[in-house]
Amino acid sequence: MKLPVLALFERSLRLETRSALMAWSRAGLLILILFVMIPIQSMAKSGWFGAPGLHFLQELVWLNLVCITLAGLSYFASAITEEKEEMMLGLLRMTDLSPVAILLGKSTSRLVGALLLLLVQVPFVLLAVSLGGVGLLQIAAAYGTLLAYLFLVCNLALLFSVVFRNTTTAAAWTFAVLLSFLIGHYWAAGLEQYFASARHVNLQRGVWPMLTTVIDLWRRAAPSDRLGAIFQTGFAGPAIGFQVASNLVLGVLLFLLAWLVFNRCTREEKDAAPSRGWRWRRATRCSRIPPQLVGLRAVSWKDFTFISGGWPGLLLKFGVVAFLVAVCNFIALYFDSRKDITREFEGLVLIWVSLIMTAVCLALEAARVFQDEIRWKTLSSLVTLPISVHELAYRKVAGVLAGTLPLLAGLVLGGLLVPEKIGEFLNDLCRHPVGFGVLAITILQYVLFLHLTAFLSLILKRGALPLAVAIQYLGGSFFMTFLAMGLSLGRADPGAIYFIIGFICAVLTAVLHRAIGLRLTRAAAEE
Amino acid sequence: MSESNQPTIEIRDLRHAYKRQQALRGVSFSVEQGSIHGFVGPNGAGKTTTLKILATLLKPQSGTVRVFGFDVVDDYQSVRRKIGFMPDHFSLYRQMTVQEYLDFFAAAYGLDLRERTRVVGDVLVLTDMESRRNDLIKGLSRGMQQRISLARVLVHDPTLLLLDEPASGLDPRARIELMDIIRELRRMGKTIFISSHILSELAMLCDSVTILDRGAVRYSGSISGLSQGNGETADYLLSLAEENPAAEAALRKVSGVIEVIKPAKAPQYRVSFQKQETDPNLLLRAVLDSGGQILGFQEVVRHLNQAFMDLTEPGVPPVMMEATDDAPPVPTVPNSGGRA
Repeated sequence: MKLPVLALFERSLRLETRSALMAWSRAGLLILILFVMIPIQSMAKSGWFGAPGLHFLQELVWLNLVCITLAGLSYFASAITEEKEEMMLGLLRMTDLSPVAILLGKSTSRLVGALLLLLVQVPFVLLAVSLGGVGLLQIAAAYGTLLAYLFLVCNLALLFSVVFRNTTTAAAWTFAVLLSFLIGHYWAAGLEQYFASARHVNLQRGVWPMLTTVIDLWRRAAPSDRLGAIFQTGFAGPAIGFQVASNLVLGVLLFLLAWLVFNRCTREEKDAAPSRGWRWRRATRCSRIPPQLVGLRAVSWKDFTFISGGWPGLLLKFGVVAFLVAVCNFIALYFDSRKDITREFEGLVLIWVSLIMTAVCLALEAARVFQDEIRWKTLSSLVTLPISVHELAYRKVAGVLAGTLPLLAGLVLGGLLVPEKIGEFLNDLCRHPVGFGVLAITILQYVLFLHLTAFLSLILKRGALPLAVAIQYLGGSFFMTFLAMGLSLGRADPGAIYFIIGFICAVLTAVLHRAIGLRLTRAAAEE
Repeated sequence: MSESNQPTIEIRDLRHAYKRQQALRGVSFSVEQGSIHGFVGPNGAGKTTTLKILATLLKPQSGTVRVFGFDVVDDYQSVRRKIGFMPDHFSLYRQMTVQEYLDFFAAAYGLDLRERTRVVGDVLVLTDMESRRNDLIKGLSRGMQQRISLARVLVHDPTLLLLDEPASGLDPRARIELMDIIRELRRMGKTIFISSHILSELAMLCDSVTILDRGAVRYSGSISGLSQGNGETADYLLSLAEENPAAEAALRKVSGVIEVIKPAKAPQYRVSFQKQETDPNLLLRAVLDSGGQILGFQEVVRHLNQAFMDLTEPGVPPVMMEATDDAPPVPTVPNSGGRA
């Protein structure tokens, strides 16, 4: 007998099992496993390391952990928000479906799909035992850890998907909480140690023993700590530890919480129009296009204003850079036993913070710059401007790049603070061509990554950035393996390897560049 | 052909397919300058594909499409300067205010500050949205968002407006107001190419019409031409006081009568005849001579709705063009007869 509460769940499962995308994902996963196994075996044969089975298992498990975290930001975080954005949740609620039926149908079915993706790996991962260096217990414990973490991530993202109006906010909150969950206990433990040593706090008195216990439980609940223990030689169990139990319990609690707040958070259907960002709600003199920005420049102005955040966004980014530099100074002064902050330290911090912020902002904006036009069906009105699609795309990118000016200003300011370090760096590049090769490949890989993100955003409804990160991560792993093998075998010249990898990156970038233009033209016609 | 009487839109043997689905099968028609041209057809007839090709969003796979003499593929930038395309969905930046949105498009079309301030003010007055210029678009009603879409199309003063279902989803008042705006635009000298399913309004609004069905043109020409058939035949409805088989037989004997149909149980006859061979007076005389008592006698004028139903019925042969200077007339608008 069919239960009404499982009706949507059953339908979603049926669709998911028939989905060509899921079939391709499973096939891709198996090919990936082979790709991971082959270089590890080759390196083990060359005597690079022992226990190739353990290396193989480690590589796959960490990769899965990254993918599960990224899935939390896109696949799971959009479970309910996608219905809100398409103004369909109201219609779903008008049917006989109860909140729990909607939650099961929209989220748990995705969880089952992801669980199947994990489980399909197990028979192949068992090959690790044949490769040597790892036992069945370790494989079972590692995959148990991943399954429990997946359950937790899915339900955490579901809660935020219920609470927030759009996927971006739900994904941002999922990311922040997951990051805190995964690495926050290190910071908490560090702070506790700081108070014990610098402030002479007795950790055996007052609330401190309880705090210590909480931090310890937090650490044990994090999959990274558990996996570290599992990968130790001589791991003797148990296969299901505290991490598994705690993750499952937390997952159930989060699901129940999502159920509890579902009616309250979805009662009113709100307009899912894009956010106005930090701009005033009403038009002001400042919100008008400056007189000199006529023609193509107006397109850049629009994206600078509504994607990068405009002038308020510039100020905010500058503020974030200043805040992060201040945090680094604080850490250096209080945790790194530095006596004072030197010009050199300040300059290097400013350069690194600006670089990282620029990379992050550009990646986020690459995922939005074209997708927003498609999502809100505005591309056709832009494409009918008397310009080519390529000009339009370049102008849009120029607008987004203008939004990263304060970050580049931080970079320049950092450079001005430590001109001697910049000089040394440039000298090193000239003296060591290998360093130049690494720098060139890093830049090329990042440009390729931005293109990949922008292209995926044109063909996927959601999750372009996490998928691009995953693909880039894999690509980076292969690059490192290729490089390491080439260098270790001593048969290849590093310059030649850099050239080949750089050439591959450049070709792929050019292909994606062209594909973005074609896809934009097609997307405008499909609107 | 001089520029003044050059057609605004000229489509010849246009074909387009999506994978295995043939969307357009040799579409040909033209639209005169300064006219309002209706573009109608059932769902999936190929209207939006044709509009997208005209708007340079889609490249035609074969055939030629010219707008003001410019080819939509080779001279697409010239075409884009001349046209304003309003798609069948709201293509709006809903996070912007009305003023910001129109100002952005005016600037993107290259208007300087003074000019765009004037133009934005003018289009807001024309669309009666002046009082909402500082409101966020996402807070406006559907009808108002439709007007903003129309205002956006007008900011660069295009000569040809391509409007895809501009009245869909609007309430009756908003529809009537939109039609008034379109008439006003025609008075301003613009050519308007409008696709719509609301045939009664199109019939009142348009000078000419193209009926498309399953990717082929069923009729293209003036609205009056559509109402009156091909001009060679005429249909009259004759009402008698009582049934009179002799009168029916007398009608059939009149030279030039093509057919006599009795459409209802009432004593009525629908008579189709060749205009050149006979005239209505001969029909009346034949009925009176046979002893029939006439209660009513009127010409059957087909409305757009009726023509649409007739022309989009399965089995109707394609391409029925009204006579133009360039193309000789071909038989047009078959009458079904049974749906008077």
